[in-house]
Amino acid sequence: MKRHHVIVRITHWVNAIALTIMIGSGLRIFNAYPRFARRGETFCCYPFAGRAIPANLTFGGWLGGARNWHFAMMWVLVVNGLVYLAFIYLHGEWRDLVPRRGVVRDVGEMVKFYLTIRKDHPRQGKHNALQRMAYFSMPIVGLIAVVTGIAIWKPVQLAPLTNLMGGYVWARYWHFWSMLLLVILTLGHIFMVFTVDPYSILAMITGRYRERWSPEARNARPFVHFLPRDE
Amino acid sequence: MSEPSERRDSLRVRGVSHPAERVGIDRRRFLAATGGALGAMVLAACDSLGPRSATSLLRFAEHENESLERTLLRHTSMDVPRAGAKAAGSHFPSYFISDTVPVWDEAVRGAWRLEIGGLVSKPLQLSLADLAALPRVGYKLDHFCVEGWTAVATRTGVRLADIARLAGVQPDARYVDFQSFDKDYHESWDIESAMHPQTLVVYAQDGHYLNAAWGAPARIYSPVKLGYKNTKYLTRITFLPARNGGYWSDRGYEWYGGV
Repeated sequence: MKRHHVIVRITHWVNAIALTIMIGSGLRIFNAYPRFARRGETFCCYPFAGRAIPANLTFGGWLGGARNWHFAMMWVLVVNGLVYLAFIYLHGEWRDLVPRRGVVRDVGEMVKFYLTIRKDHPRQGKHNALQRMAYFSMPIVGLIAVVTGIAIWKPVQLAPLTNLMGGYVWARYWHFWSMLLLVILTLGHIFMVFTVDPYSILAMITGRYRERWSPEARNARPFVHFLPRDE
Repeated sequence: MSEPSERRDSLRVRGVSHPAERVGIDRRRFLAATGGALGAMVLAACDSLGPRSATSLLRFAEHENESLERTLLRHTSMDVPRAGAKAAGSHFPSYFISDTVPVWDEAVRGAWRLEIGGLVSKPLQLSLADLAALPRVGYKLDHFCVEGWTAVATRTGVRLADIARLAGVQPDARYVDFQSFDKDYHESWDIESAMHPQTLVVYAQDGHYLNAAWGAPARIYSPVKLGYKNTKYLTRITFLPARNGGYWSDRGYEWYGGV
């Protein structure tokens, strides 16, 4: 039994590449006007106005190049996301991802464990409560990123959508925030994969995993208990 | 606290450290390797254009996006700025490709005329007074720049659709080219966008005749196109059977540039 179905594994890595390019090219586009205010106005809610994102965090080389990448890769991101969502809906994997009853308490127990207030790893199924929340919110934030992105792509032809978000300036702001949330979720995910469960990388590539490798069986928290216990 | 499972009790022996805890060097080595790998990835991405081989794929995507945008274009979708939006006024940016503000020098070039030509049955030469005598429309409109900024201004002028009717545009005119006297600046459009009711030959902004910084004596303006598609310092409007690229479209920005 594979830990992840082959469709989940493929869509995961396609998403990783597409999201990286979308964020890099998006930051390059942002750098052409690294503020939100309409010309002649001020904007309330962005304290870093005028400060460009460091160039080596961006992708596309220049504004036109970044736009070409952004508007091509958006289709890969959307189609791949729809394939993933359709699959987990039809195949039942969504049950491992939606929050369960008592999720607040479960998240609290995981946090206690990571802060070493609690000594033993809470019981879990395929994912712990924090993972569930992260993997559940990722597609939701992704959807917000896509919808706000469409709103600033065609603010005249799709004016009702753009107006729903408070107009072009605010839609651009929400698009920026959704990107920021995706970056935070992704960096948190990568950090936990490397410091708690590096075996999950193999599981996400080949599908191979063993129960004794799981963080629960190893009682693993970040940087602690990397190796499986002796049999 | 939750009750530890039986299995866990059997695995946990008090006072005996986990094997991983005894090999601290692994952790350090692991961190160094991870940091190195991530650093290398960032440096590799380092403001790059992406692989050359992707160019044809990006062109294909631009072509498909254009088809989608052209089906999205509705002549009933009118731009209406937000109720509270302030006009940019003197904060409205000024862009041109010449080294200095392009000014039409009558002493050198003679009186300014806007030529309407190409696939038309009655080519026209319109002076500023001729334009001002045509049916006048004024809209408070958003301006969407490719860079991501937006600005509001009131644009006054003549609907391009009205001028096209006067000139008798032929049915095989599928594209329009807007030529300027700002060096060789021009941009060509699809006819549908050109005939949008908010596509205007503009000669006044915020109630005053255009100044040199904003494209005097006349410019094309439409909220359904990104700023760079809207040629300023207009000299000639040519109706064409095929597209004719454009200053920025030939330099890598998308040709359609719809909003």
